[in-house]
Amino acid sequence: MAMGKISPWVSQAKEIPVEMSSRIRLARNVRELPFPHLVEDDEMSGVIETLNDTLDDFNRIDLEELKFEDKALLVEKHLISPLFTKRGRLSYINGDESVSIMVNEEDHIRIQAMGAELSLDELYENASSLDDRLESRLDYAFDDKYGFLTACPTNIGTGLRASVMLHLPALSLGNRIQRVSNNLNRFGFTLRGIYGEGSVPLGHIYQLSNQLTLGQSEEDIIKSLNELKARIIEEEIEMRSIMHNEHLIKAKDSIFRSYGILKHAYTISLKEAANHLSNIKLGVDLGFLPENTIRFQELVQLIQPAFIKMRLNSLDKEYVSLERAVAEERATLLREHIGGTI
Amino acid sequence: MICESCQENEATVHITTGSGLNKTERYLCEVCANKSFSGQFSSFQDDSFNIHQLLQSLSAQQPFTSHKQQKKHCENCGSTVESILKNGKFGCAECYETFSEKSNEIITKVQLFQTEHNGKIPQKSSAYIKVKKEIEQLRAELSGLVEEQAFEEAAVVRDQIKSLEAGDGNGKD
Ligand SMILES: [Zn+2]
Ligand SMILES: [Zn+2]
Repeated sequence: MAMGKISPWVSQAKEIPVEMSSRIRLARNVRELPFPHLVEDDEMSGVIETLNDTLDDFNRIDLEELKFEDKALLVEKHLISPLFTKRGRLSYINGDESVSIMVNEEDHIRIQAMGAELSLDELYENASSLDDRLESRLDYAFDDKYGFLTACPTNIGTGLRASVMLHLPALSLGNRIQRVSNNLNRFGFTLRGIYGEGSVPLGHIYQLSNQLTLGQSEEDIIKSLNELKARIIEEEIEMRSIMHNEHLIKAKDSIFRSYGILKHAYTISLKEAANHLSNIKLGVDLGFLPENTIRFQELVQLIQPAFIKMRLNSLDKEYVSLERAVAEERATLLREHIGGTI
Repeated sequence: MICESCQENEATVHITTGSGLNKTERYLCEVCANKSFSGQFSSFQDDSFNIHQLLQSLSAQQPFTSHKQQKKHCENCGSTVESILKNGKFGCAECYETFSEKSNEIITKVQLFQTEHNGKIPQKSSAYIKVKKEIEQLRAELSGLVEEQAFEEAAVVRDQIKSLEAGDGNGKD
């Protein structure tokens, strides 16, 4: 596994407007063992042995052997959660880094499948068949009435969190997100910024996911999510055409300014870089810039701090202030990608 | 990776405090890291943020619980209602059963009045759950068909239910 490289499933993905990637997560626990926040290390050893045995085609990552930077990289690749960097023990990751398992996150087992060109149904199939594989060797905590039992009751039942990452610059700039989001909440779904909880999330990237895990089947949850996703995409496209038809000069101005800045900047913050990348991607989608201008999904990851630090380390550069060095290296990376001054 | 505290700046500082069981680790930006040394930072917000608030409010609501209930603990993991509310998490799978009333109350709240699983059933899990759910589903289908006055199809479904109830359906597993 190449730690400091973009996950193969991301770098091979075709870029399309709005929809970035999808993810399925299943939460599972082993009967009788206390949940992770109470379980002792040695109580988990049997489960871990079984997992090692069953998952011999996965890369096994021992979190305790990783440095902070490497853990942060895994977070930036969405392979592990921030919580897991603190008390996680083991993770299993497949070859193209699209499927991963966290041992002792909030639950004993968290299975995750990600993809850019696969539908949520296909991803669920992948996760579910891996789940079957584990279930044949482990005794899951399952209840007739409540389904799969989880540490937190917000995950009980299916243990399923299905989510879609969406690039919503037009809805975001048009201040429509709150309204869309309020509507979703009534159906038991949420729309949240994926990077940070600020009013405008990094790169106008949002995550649509189900909030309820009990009562509906996996198929029904995914079906509703797909319907809601289609509606949000429709609204985003509509806002974009309003932008195009009624505010053409303003839209072009901000898109090409962003393009100019990333082409020629020598130091840039994460927030600013993500914002300009979002504008450029919008410019590509609207046909103002050629399709090969940027690979948005990839660059949004590459500009994150751990990726940049990895680059700095590999270049053996010396610096006084890490923060400043990161901002400078980020600008260099972007100039390289967009073909600016070197 | 983003600062856990402000969720805005880049996390550039890794702070470890305490040791052993009390050890906590945080990834913060420089601003928040400096603040944290004066003992002021907000807790990490993740999926369970809302549930924490909710459970805390539930726990605030129950100062009058009887002593008997307060002492009750899970045989398997030692959790009590108090510890569950405080952690925002159940201690183990058996806690759900041990504190069935409380767990039902909590689940009803966080799952917006959904109280029954309708999804995947583990293969190993006893065949009867599958049959039970299948019968429930067929019953719903049946009442729909009767309503539509599709009596021929309804008869077929009724026979399916009968054979499942008689235990013939177990052969599939
Ligand atoms: Zn901060
Ligand atoms: Zn327990």
